[in-house]
Amino acid sequence: MHNVVIVGGGPAGLSAALAAAAAGAPVLLIDSNSRLGGQYWRNSVDELENQNEQHFDLATGLLLINAVKARKEIEVWSEAQIWSATNDEGKNTLRVIHQGKEKIVNTANLILCTGAYDRTLPFPGWDIPGVMTPGGVQSLLKGHGVLAGKQVVVAGTGPFLLPVAAGVIKAGGEVVSLIEANKSRRWVSSFIVILENLSKIKEAFYYIKTISRGKVRAQFGYAVIAAHAADNGELESVDIAKINRNFKVKKVKNIKCDVAAIGWGFTADTSLAGSLGCKQVVAKDESVVVWVDSEQQTNIPGVFAAGEITGIGGSDLSMAEGVIAGIAAAKFVGCKVDISKAHRKRRAKRQRFANALIKAYPIKTGWQLWPNDQTTICRCEEVSLGDLKFSVEELGATDSRTAKLFTRCGMGLCQGRICGRSVVDLVAKELNVLPTDIDRISAVNRPIITPIPLGVLAQGE
Amino acid sequence: MKNPDAIVIGAGVVGACTALSLANAGIRVLVIDRGPVASGTTGAGEGNILVSDKEPSPELTLAIRSRDAWFEIDTDIGGGFELEAKGGVVVSRITKGISDLKKLASLQKENGVETIELDASTLQEAEPFISKDVNYGVLYPGDAQCQPMLAAAQIIRAVKKRGGQFIQGENVIKINSNSGSVVGLTTDKNTYSTPIVINATGTWAGEVAKLAGSYLPIMPRRGYILVTSPAPKFINHKVYDADYVANVASGEADLQSSAVIEGTASGTILIGASRERVGFKNDLNIAILRQLARQAISLFPVLTNIQLLRAYRGFRPYAPDHLPVIGEDANVLGLWHAAGHEGAGIGLAPATGELITAQITGNVPFMDPMPFSPKRFKGGEHVAV
Repeated sequence: MHNVVIVGGGPAGLSAALAAAAAGAPVLLIDSNSRLGGQYWRNSVDELENQNEQHFDLATGLLLINAVKARKEIEVWSEAQIWSATNDEGKNTLRVIHQGKEKIVNTANLILCTGAYDRTLPFPGWDIPGVMTPGGVQSLLKGHGVLAGKQVVVAGTGPFLLPVAAGVIKAGGEVVSLIEANKSRRWVSSFIVILENLSKIKEAFYYIKTISRGKVRAQFGYAVIAAHAADNGELESVDIAKINRNFKVKKVKNIKCDVAAIGWGFTADTSLAGSLGCKQVVAKDESVVVWVDSEQQTNIPGVFAAGEITGIGGSDLSMAEGVIAGIAAAKFVGCKVDISKAHRKRRAKRQRFANALIKAYPIKTGWQLWPNDQTTICRCEEVSLGDLKFSVEELGATDSRTAKLFTRCGMGLCQGRICGRSVVDLVAKELNVLPTDIDRISAVNRPIITPIPLGVLAQGE
Repeated sequence: MKNPDAIVIGAGVVGACTALSLANAGIRVLVIDRGPVASGTTGAGEGNILVSDKEPSPELTLAIRSRDAWFEIDTDIGGGFELEAKGGVVVSRITKGISDLKKLASLQKENGVETIELDASTLQEAEPFISKDVNYGVLYPGDAQCQPMLAAAQIIRAVKKRGGQFIQGENVIKINSNSGSVVGLTTDKNTYSTPIVINATGTWAGEVAKLAGSYLPIMPRRGYILVTSPAPKFINHKVYDADYVANVASGEADLQSSAVIEGTASGTILIGASRERVGFKNDLNIAILRQLARQAISLFPVLTNIQLLRAYRGFRPYAPDHLPVIGEDANVLGLWHAAGHEGAGIGLAPATGELITAQITGNVPFMDPMPFSPKRFKGGEHVAV
């Protein structure tokens, strides 16, 4: 019997596992990847030491990964998918597909570190092969050593665009253009936060050095608003628009590229927490996150959460939260430990930086004018903006849930992970209202967390 | 519309069809729902339009008319709700089941249902992927399917075009009457005058009857549907196990389930059907999901590697005698009920609307409506009529 079960092997999960184990609690770490490290320290089968190129701080990652592997108190299940989770009177049941079989994990003490994934915005042509997310481009590089294209446009908003552009250059690709939707001066108001988080600035300059070596001109206040395919169906060029503060299009030009890596920050993956009944709230960046108290505990006693699912904030904040969650969970199972002031201070500092990031890289509603009626919004079920509008104007949908039932938008293979947020925004825009928290939270409700083969389901008890 | 000729409470498929039928008869109808279109049981349905699952009875007469009425509505309002005459195949693997199924099919045939017996080889032709140990089945070409949420929405849209009105987000809190006759109703936001109120609130119809000071014994029966990832079409009909017919008629509270499997226009496969009486309990019962998966695989072994994507649940409205409630209230004149269709609400909705409309307008209905009359429940008792 494991005392603490941790889901997710990224910065938060690894930190939590080590903290709980150091406090004396045996740990089961369940991770969906084949290798520990999460998205941030995603790595391939090559000697880890040779993969430094694609990382700013692989050393920290390796330290954590190796420490987790070395600790006898930590058992790791890799390539394990949790398809269902329920909470019944204090007992949490995780139904895990691991090594082709379903395993049932019952635990009263759980730390959820399920991370986040790229946020995408729909625009004409965003479903053309060659239009990717920055995370997709990066995981090809980090996980497989594959460069997605030769001439790459990196666009969207947020600091994550920098490592992706730098990674492409290091791998021998050309970054045709690096396009940031927000103006850099949004940072001015956060001067003090920058000073106390100088390591982050060091990281930014580390990337910028590489990017300027590649003679890339970064453009601020621009966005990719359309993509065009060649005769073979693959990406040939993108339309880049000068946009105003609210993301409304001012002037458009076309540039050639074979890959466009476009990302708009991140969306927390709260499906597992939601299935357990953890309280979810809408964060400042409008993403749905798991509510936690100062000890990283959710509203369910014994269930903790750390990292991006409690609010997008990057790897440093995730590690700080993971440590606290690990200690708190160990304390919960009776270990004699306590969260120190230093731990809390470190988290608070990282949190201020995360808040500044959200302020500096907002996503303004002007994007909702980029797609046209023919633009696909839900790629799984091939639902267009026109279909969504029809469901509102003609069929009388008055919320995104009803629009979804009428159009099957968000009901496909990804269960709305890609389009869910956009659908909530676009339906609300059609209705001329602001999305409610209920709209946003119900859009991430997924009782079947990941698809499960019927044969595996049938064999379970 | 403050003074409509009639108000329909409930914008599920039964309320929508009733409103359309009334509007087509020239009645100025207002539909009121506390939520959006199809936000109750309609939104959790498979869209079954079946003639195969009923024994010869008034309900079968209703089902046969209703099935044809669906295709008339499709033409009348211009479609848009994925109506498909896909046909149903009922199978059985046990001796007793086969003989019961044969008997049922021949009785149904006498009552006007088209049935085609299938032996091992014709069954394999009709459903090439069905398990090799299934040797007997009956094909019902009359069985059909639609997308129920779209059906309700498209019909409400047509009602609006024909002079009707739909108001959502208003919760009816009182049905007003004067000397035993309906004079209107009050919602949490407004009061409306009307001599006729039609209670089409499905599983919640008992509560609404109470708002008029009357009584209707309608209770919920929970059901799950599994939805798979899209697959190339390899299931041609709605295929179900003959046990399903027995379950529908059963009065037992325990969980019952038997495989009902079909492909949809979008490529996903729907797997039902479970029945349990747990009130409005809304938790996720994993044991049921597993049982449904097992039963589905035993009929179609090829489903083993198909992935479950979603599961949803709904609450079927049922009356103690498992018959729908269609007709005027026993106590309050001008209050009509169109509810309690259990799992057959989508299929039976158009004929239900026709029965109500014929009686309200004083026309001769297509069948004797008495067996469905709410008057069979009196003062909390269930009396046979």
